[in-house]
Amino acid sequence: MRADALAEARSPAGLVVLEGQAREVPWFDAEALVWTGATHPDRVTGDVLVLALRLREPHGFAEVRGGRFVFTTGAIRPTAIDGVSAIGRMPWGLTVEAVGGAPVIPRFGTSVYDWMAGGRVAQHVGSRFTLGASYVREHAPEGLTNEEVGADMALVPLTWLDLAGRGAYDLSSPGIADAHGSAAARLGLVRVELFGTHRSPSRLLPATSLFSVLGDFPSDILGTTVRWDAAPRLDVLATAAGQDRGGDFGGYGSLRATLRLDDDANGTFALEGRRQDVADIHWTGIRAIAAERMSLHFRASTELEVAWADDPRGRGAAWPWGLVSLGWRSGSGWEAAAGMEAGSTPLRRFELDGLLRLSRTLEVP
Amino acid sequence: MNGRGSILLVLSLLVAACAGVLGTRGKPTHPFEHRAHVNKGINCVECHTSIGNDDRGELHLPTSADCVRCHQKPHDARTCADCHGESHVRLGAEMARKHLRFDHGTHLRSTHGDCVRCHADVGLERPEVLRPKMATCFGCHQHENQWTLRDCDGCHVDLAAEDTAPASHLVHDGDWMREHGVRAASLRDLCASCHSERSCAACHGRTVAALPSRLAFDDVKIAGLHRPGFRSHHAEEARAEPGLCTTCHTEQSCIDCHTRSAVAPGTATRSPHPPGFLSASRGGGQHGIQARLDPVSCAGCHGGAGEQLCVGCHRVGGPGGNPHGPGFSSRRDKSRDLPCRLCHGGT
Repeated sequence: MRADALAEARSPAGLVVLEGQAREVPWFDAEALVWTGATHPDRVTGDVLVLALRLREPHGFAEVRGGRFVFTTGAIRPTAIDGVSAIGRMPWGLTVEAVGGAPVIPRFGTSVYDWMAGGRVAQHVGSRFTLGASYVREHAPEGLTNEEVGADMALVPLTWLDLAGRGAYDLSSPGIADAHGSAAARLGLVRVELFGTHRSPSRLLPATSLFSVLGDFPSDILGTTVRWDAAPRLDVLATAAGQDRGGDFGGYGSLRATLRLDDDANGTFALEGRRQDVADIHWTGIRAIAAERMSLHFRASTELEVAWADDPRGRGAAWPWGLVSLGWRSGSGWEAAAGMEAGSTPLRRFELDGLLRLSRTLEVP
Repeated sequence: MNGRGSILLVLSLLVAACAGVLGTRGKPTHPFEHRAHVNKGINCVECHTSIGNDDRGELHLPTSADCVRCHQKPHDARTCADCHGESHVRLGAEMARKHLRFDHGTHLRSTHGDCVRCHADVGLERPEVLRPKMATCFGCHQHENQWTLRDCDGCHVDLAAEDTAPASHLVHDGDWMREHGVRAASLRDLCASCHSERSCAACHGRTVAALPSRLAFDDVKIAGLHRPGFRSHHAEEARAEPGLCTTCHTEQSCIDCHTRSAVAPGTATRSPHPPGFLSASRGGGQHGIQARLDPVSCAGCHGGAGEQLCVGCHRVGGPGGNPHGPGFSSRRDKSRDLPCRLCHGGT
C-alpha cells in the first residue's frame, strides 16, 4: 500500500494518490489506484483509475479480471473499462481472450448505454512467433461508435532480430485506423530499429464526432532508431524519421546521450536535442538532465529545456523551462520531494511552480 | 618538462578521468577471492556450511568462524565479510532469497554437489555477480509450458512486486516508450506477468493526474513523453502527428485543460486561432486545412455539442457545403445515428 500527496502552487492545488496491491495467495490478487485533488478551493475532484480483482488458475490456464482496468490486447487500443475480461491458454500455445464492459466515464460520471465487447484469438509458437486476430465494437446511446478488426504479429526469426506489427481496420467508416511495424536488430553494442506507423486521426475519434465524416489526411512515418552502448556507462540514442502528413513531407530527428556517473546509476547526466520539420511545424529543442544521489537518503536533480518554434506566432521567441528538486527517502517507508519549476510557455511569459510530494509506503508482512 | 610533455600529461590525465567516468575502468573494490579457493580444491560447502539447510532462514554466507577454521591467524580483528566481498553480491543474494522459490538442498543432490555447474562465474577473477542468471536455469529446466502459460509462480514469488528489470530473457531496449505499443501488442499478458494494472493506467487511464512523470518530478530518469516542460511545445507535437494524442487522451482531456487555461470557447476567451482563420476562401482557408489534417485538435474544443458550430455552415446549401470528402462511405444509419442525424435527421 502506498500513498502519495502532491502539492502544487497552481491547480490542482493538492493531489492525493493512493495505490495498493495485495497478493496473499497465488491465484488471487487485487489492486487499486485512486486520486483526489482540489482544482479550486471549493471544488474537489478525483478518479478511480484502477480497482481490479484478478482470479487465476494456479497453472496459468485461465485468468479472469473484473472491476476497473485498462484493457488492451493485440490491435485493440487501450481502453479503460468497468467490466470483465477473461483469458484462456492452451498448452499448445492457443490463447483466447474476451472482454465486455462499459467504457469508463471520467471522474465518477455515468452513462446509461455505453458498452464495448471484443476479443482476440492468438497462436504462439514457443517464444519465437505469435499471430493474433482481434475484434472490438463500442456502442454509445447514439448507436455504434466504433467497430474494428485487427491483426498482430511478433516474430523472432534470429536471435538478434525481432519483428513486430499490429494494425486495425475500421469497419464503421471503412479504412485502416492505425498500423505499426517494427524490426529491431542487435549487432554487438549497437541496436538498430526500423519502424513505420500509419495513423488515421478521424478514425481514431469516436465515430459520433462530426470530424469523423469530414475526411482526414493520415500521417505516415518511416524512421530508424539507433542505440549505441558507447561505453559501459554511456548510451547514445539517435532517431531519424521521414513523415508524410496529408501530402506534406517532412521529418524529425533527435539525439540523446546518457552518462551514468557510477555503476549503480545513482548519478546521471543526459543531453538531448530534437528538430521537427513537417508541414507548417518547425521547431528545435534541447534538454539537459543531471541527477545525483548525495547520500543514502538524499538525491538531487535538475532539468533544463529550451524549445524554439521557427514561427512563434506571437507566443514568444523561445520557451525555456527548468526544474530543480531534492528528494529524501527514509528507511521506514517515508519519502518526500520538493521542487521548483520555472518556465515560459506560449500562454504565460513567466511561470513559477512549487512542488511538494510526501509519500508513505506500508507493507503488510 | 617541455610543452609536448605537458600536453601528453594533461591528455593522459584526461583519458584516465574519462575511463573512470565512462565506466571502462572499474571502481576498486574487494571481491571475495572465490577463484583462489576453488583453485586450491576447497569444496564450496566447506565454507557455505549451511547450504543444504532450509532456504528460508539466514543467507548461506560464511561467518568469520568459518574462515578462521583454516585462516587461524587472521590479519585483522574485524569481521571478515566487512572487507572480503562486495555489497552488491550480498544484495543479490538477499533479493534472490526474498523473491525466488529455490531449494539449494534439492539442487545439491541432483548436481552431486557440483555448485560451479550453476555458479559458473565463481571461476572468474572478478565475477560481476555470482547468482546464476535465468538463462542458466533454462540450461536444465526448459519451462516451455510455463512460458506459454505465463506460469512464473513456480520460481518467482511475485514478479510484479519484484520490481526488477529482467537481465537476459526480456529486454526493454531502444526507444521503449515509443516501441512498447507495437511490441506489447502480441504479448500483453506476458507484460502483465511483471507489470501491474497501475503501470498501464498511470498513463492510459482516462484521467491521468497520477502521470508518473508528474508525480515523480524528482526522478529525471523517468523520461516519458511528458516531462512537465512538455506543456510549452505540446501543440507543435500534437499537430505534427495527428492521432498520437488519442492513444491515451480523450477529447475531454483537451477540453478540461484548455478550459482551465482559458483557451477554449466559452471561457474568458483567448482564441488559439490566428486572424483570418475562418476564411471563406475555397477549401475553407486555414481552418479547413487544419480540420482535415488534425481533426483531433479541433475536437479537443469543438467536439460533442460544439459540433453544432460546424454544422451551422457545413451543410448542403450552407456556406461550408457538403462536409463529406470524396469517396466517403459509412455504415451508420444517417437518420438515427450521430453525427449523421444532425443534418439527415429529417430525411
